[in-house]
Amino acid sequence: MRVGTGTRITLRVVALGYLFVLVAVPIGVILWRAFEPGLATFIASISTPAAISALNLSLLIIAIVVPLNVVFGVVTALALVRGRFRGRGLLQAVVDLPFAVSPIVVGVSLIMLWGVNGWFGAIDRAGFQVIFGLPGMVLATIFVTLPFVVREVEPVLHEIGTEQEQAASTLGADRWQTFWRITLPAIRWGLTYGVVLTVARALGEFGAVIMVSSGFPGVSQTLTLLVHARYIDDHNTYGAYAAATLLMGIALLVLLLMTLLDRKRSDR
Amino acid sequence: MITVTAARKHYGSFLALDDVDIDIPSGSLTALLGPSGSGKSTLLRAIAGLEGLDGGTVTIDGRDVTAEPPQRRGIGFVFQHYAAFKHMTVRDNVAFGLTIRKRPKAEIAKKVDDLLEIVGLDGFQHRYPAQLSGGQRQRMALARALAVDPQVLLLDEPFGALDAKVRTDLRQWLRRLHDEVHVTTVLVTHDQEEALDVADRIAVLNHGRIEQVGDPVTLYERPANDFVMGFLGSVATLGGQLVRPHDIVLDRDRTTALALDAKVADSPGVITATVERVVPLGFEVRIDLRADSGERFAAQITRRDAAELGLHEGETIHARATSRSTVVDHDPALAI
Ligand SMILES: Nc1ncnc2c1ncn2[C@@H]1O[C@H](COP(=O)(O)OP(=O)(O)O)[C@@H](O)[C@H]1O
Ligand SMILES: [Mg+2]
Repeated sequence: MRVGTGTRITLRVVALGYLFVLVAVPIGVILWRAFEPGLATFIASISTPAAISALNLSLLIIAIVVPLNVVFGVVTALALVRGRFRGRGLLQAVVDLPFAVSPIVVGVSLIMLWGVNGWFGAIDRAGFQVIFGLPGMVLATIFVTLPFVVREVEPVLHEIGTEQEQAASTLGADRWQTFWRITLPAIRWGLTYGVVLTVARALGEFGAVIMVSSGFPGVSQTLTLLVHARYIDDHNTYGAYAAATLLMGIALLVLLLMTLLDRKRSDR
Repeated sequence: MITVTAARKHYGSFLALDDVDIDIPSGSLTALLGPSGSGKSTLLRAIAGLEGLDGGTVTIDGRDVTAEPPQRRGIGFVFQHYAAFKHMTVRDNVAFGLTIRKRPKAEIAKKVDDLLEIVGLDGFQHRYPAQLSGGQRQRMALARALAVDPQVLLLDEPFGALDAKVRTDLRQWLRRLHDEVHVTTVLVTHDQEEALDVADRIAVLNHGRIEQVGDPVTLYERPANDFVMGFLGSVATLGGQLVRPHDIVLDRDRTTALALDAKVADSPGVITATVERVVPLGFEVRIDLRADSGERFAAQITRRDAAELGLHEGETIHARATSRSTVVDHDPALAI
């Protein structure tokens, strides 16, 4: 399509203006507010015991959720692409469900299931606390991040087909060897991308987690909960900005890592 | 030697292999030839163990492998679209089977280098498949299949995705390679020229059945039916029978050589026809004719014969098959 110079410049200005107002300004404001009083103040604010505990908890949840999602996601994607079984359509729909369901609904349903008075309440009453404990937060995070690995790996599996795997089998590789040496390397970029999205979402999840967390500072606050608590409960606006900046910093790091990996991939 | 006995294969209600029996002698280069959808790949994949059979058996060098997975059949398989391991270098691709077998590193390195030299990819060790042309990828795939010293080499339309020039080069090359390596080879192709060019035996498939197996000359000169005749080489229908266009003689005078030669009982006899077109094809000339019955057919004669006859469009001529010609009764049920 040929576009006149005037039109092109107008389009550019509109697009950039849109991004600027909706993305750059809010982020810029937070950054400015966080670093305005100086680096020392910022560091002090993000190294309080509550902040360190929140960071650790967020990372712990990610450390648990990512491996589970990787295993489940790859197995599910394989089943969806290669499997010939009844209920495949249903599985497809179920995988997308977390995209459609609001996180707060997830939180409520988790309480209904695992809370003291829920269907599986016996577990809680036996002394293993799910809701208002780490397991509840992990369950909530798994639910909201479930589709990412599956949906990133699935198209790659479609694209590579089965011929490479068949070739490996004629060369003597058993199923396990074929998976490790052929299938996994072939899907590794889709998998990486899925993991990055999972990490970003897990880090930022709020609605589902706040429902199932007891929210004690230094015990069961994730980074997002910390931002929320500082702002709403403690009226510690600056603390909220600093924590939000930390959250953003980690997300940015993940994004950067992804871009680097992406570049490495296109070098091939 | 590969022996397939009473092989049956259904895809749903579709019968892809219909009681196929075939012996493939050790050291031969056998082509499975047939139109698309005739079951060639299914048969080849059944030999490889990539496809299970509903009935029948496969034995390789006397060992019943019907229940064995591809890993334990001692085969090498080459796919039409190369099936190159994209994330591995050429060297790692070729070494794959040996690495799986945990052979010593030095042995692997030597074998890979030797094979790459044989297939003409010396110096390409560290490239990735994406950096190779189609022909080079297929030669890599061939080296990879040969690396594990297979008892049989199975090739599924290996040159089908390549352009015409590379295709003819590669099949000459495959022929020479086979003369050197002597591994029992089965080549699937739908291209009769390719089959005639490289194979020492051809099995013609149609609708999941084997129509005829034999050496190229036998198949060409004594086809078992009109499907085989029609699939290998061109044919003309003359008086309800199929003949090769170059087995038709033409003469202006009905009573001379033509008629005198008419002593073979099953030959089509003399047909009177009108010349519709004279098409020079280089060494030969094709004469498009229309019989009085309305049937159209083409004869192919040498340039010299054509010059002697001096045919013109629209004139009447007499045609018949030579006494030594390949003739098959036309059975519409077997038509392609
Ligand atoms: N996996 C499959 N599922 C269903 N039908 C198949 C499958 N593979 C092959 N067929 C059918 O079986 C017939 C023979 O296939 P194939 O052996 O691939 O033929 P060829 O290699 O001679 O072209 C074709 O009609 C094809 O559509
Ligand atoms: Mg085929």
